[in-house]
Amino acid sequence: MILYEFEGKNLLKAAGVNIPNSQLLHSLEDRVTLVFPLVLKAQVLSGKRAEQGGIVFANNENELVDNLEMLFGKTVNKEVVEIILAEEKTEIEKEYYVSISYDTETRGPVLTISESGGTGIEERKANTYSINPLNLDIISDQNQLFGLPQELIAQLIKLFFDTDFLLLEINPLVKTKTGEWIALDAKIKLDDAATSRHEDWKYPPRLVAGYTPTEREILAKKIDEGDHRGTAGSTYFDLPGDIAVLASGGGGSLTAMDVLLKAGGKPANYTEYSGNPPKEKVEKLTEIVLSKPNLHGLWVVGAIANLTDIYETLSGFIEGLRNVRTKTGLKIDFPIVIRRAGPRDKEAFELLKKEIQDFDLHLYSTETSIAESAKIIAEKAKEYAKKEENVSVT
Amino acid sequence: MFRLPKGAKILGQGITGYQGSTELPWMLSYGMQVVGGVRPGKGGEVLLGVPIFDTVKEAIETVDLVDGTVLYTPPMHTLSAVKEALEAGLKWVLITAEKVPTKDGSIIYALAKEHNACVIGPSSVGLINPQLKIKIGSIGGSDPSRAFVPGEVAIVSKSGGMSSEIGLHLKNNGLGVSWAVGIGGDRIASMDFADFLMELEEDDQTKTSVIFGELGGTYEEKVAEMVRAGKIKKPVVAFIAGEFTQTLPSEVQFGHAGAIIEGNRGRPDYKRQVLKEAGVKVAENFDEIANLVKEVLRNG
Repeated sequence: MILYEFEGKNLLKAAGVNIPNSQLLHSLEDRVTLVFPLVLKAQVLSGKRAEQGGIVFANNENELVDNLEMLFGKTVNKEVVEIILAEEKTEIEKEYYVSISYDTETRGPVLTISESGGTGIEERKANTYSINPLNLDIISDQNQLFGLPQELIAQLIKLFFDTDFLLLEINPLVKTKTGEWIALDAKIKLDDAATSRHEDWKYPPRLVAGYTPTEREILAKKIDEGDHRGTAGSTYFDLPGDIAVLASGGGGSLTAMDVLLKAGGKPANYTEYSGNPPKEKVEKLTEIVLSKPNLHGLWVVGAIANLTDIYETLSGFIEGLRNVRTKTGLKIDFPIVIRRAGPRDKEAFELLKKEIQDFDLHLYSTETSIAESAKIIAEKAKEYAKKEENVSVT
Repeated sequence: MFRLPKGAKILGQGITGYQGSTELPWMLSYGMQVVGGVRPGKGGEVLLGVPIFDTVKEAIETVDLVDGTVLYTPPMHTLSAVKEALEAGLKWVLITAEKVPTKDGSIIYALAKEHNACVIGPSSVGLINPQLKIKIGSIGGSDPSRAFVPGEVAIVSKSGGMSSEIGLHLKNNGLGVSWAVGIGGDRIASMDFADFLMELEEDDQTKTSVIFGELGGTYEEKVAEMVRAGKIKKPVVAFIAGEFTQTLPSEVQFGHAGAIIEGNRGRPDYKRQVLKEAGVKVAENFDEIANLVKEVLRNG
């Protein structure tokens, strides 16, 4: 989970890192008690706010009112500004960029420092140090730190590790004219896998930075809430195509989408379930996937499963399929291509043949590859679309 | 060394839980020797003829020689279970748990190095060798011969499902498997692609390897680097999934914890490009893998 700047700064402050005097504003009515000049920062998740006009200054009361009016409700990189962080402006002597994250090359945490911060860090030369997770006090050579205080760096590393961050980026970390060290920004990403050991993580759910989610995307994300058995719908995207996709497995679902596009099929969504979820989860995800109008096909696809119980999960699929027809009145007479195999698949296929004779069902197992079944659904969906078109013309 | 010998004996930590007790009979019926289970508080019980102990140390003292341990512990208890195994002197650990926090993953990797141990995972689907009748974890499910028959192709995969799918695809094309293993889809894999491929250089049974990669991280890029440097000499065939995600927002996790494009890092098209440039055969389509394998076997 990505934190908003103000949430990140609260964590820094609690760990003893200085941040500017600040106030969080939710509306024009909020009284500002800070000392001018001020910096007004739109609280959105995406980076590069300054370029989009999300960071403005106010030297007096009039500028403050004008700029707050301008900022509230403004769209910054597809996110609407609802919260503004007002801060007293800092007199900067020197700027630094500091980040701590995990690197797959060292397979551990790494610290990156660059001497001057600000925007455009991607192009600047930076020094990177590997941190040994078994011994966090590694940096002993002061020169390596470009004059950054060693205690401050140690503090940040400890905070990163103790609080299960995936990313801590301070850009810029500044030295003031009075010799103080202050974090002027904070980009923090928490490790969702560690949520259960941080009772204080009470952050409201949030969306992908710079992206407005659809209703189905929000609904799909809710399926896993409060139930840790397997996963279904934790990643869902609506796409512009006409073939609904109910895929299984992380790697399997990615492979399936790639081959469907290669076969000329147009997916209406991306999503997956995996890790042997209970049938209720598959049922809910099926309903969401099929709730889209103007579908011309459904592809239920996965690699040969190791652990996932095919009978259990496809039972959930059948329930979902039935529910959609009764609840929404949608005909669901388009082709349904299923390519699945794994534990209890024979029983599952018998159930499918028996239970859903009133759908245009096509069943495939290990004799047909994922790519071959992609061609079949792409072809059948096209035929169906053509038929629909003819019907609507006549 | 990840290659366990024929007749290897292993322990199962947390094997009395739901996933462990589902997979235990699958391992036993394949001929795998699971000689003890560990679950604090359940010492003295017996599961499918397998004695359960309170601690790893106790299990080792009682059943004597053990080659390794498979972990069915929940994600939050995985780090302590790895520590317990390593401190008891075990040098081979396979972690099945998904959603192990990244911090714990980094500590596990550091501990593995410190103890000079082979740790596979987290989120590994398991390890199988059809000829040696080794099967650890859920890999191949209840009936592994559906996907895995003996042969000379190794499979190293980030995805559990796709490791079996590749086995099936090879089998349908008249090819068999030496070793198949899941490295897991986490950010930090204690054994990455290159670690396995380096060891397979010395494996007599393996003539070539297929790797299944996906978006995220740099483990695929490392293979390219080591092939280029001449450290990996046996031919490698690669399939990289997730190209379609490049049209969607970045910073989004697709399935596995490590499957995320961050900045310009982790893009499938880049991985394919550097692998190709290094001389790895990259399959454009999944169904091409077997043909590429046959091609490198002919030329090799």
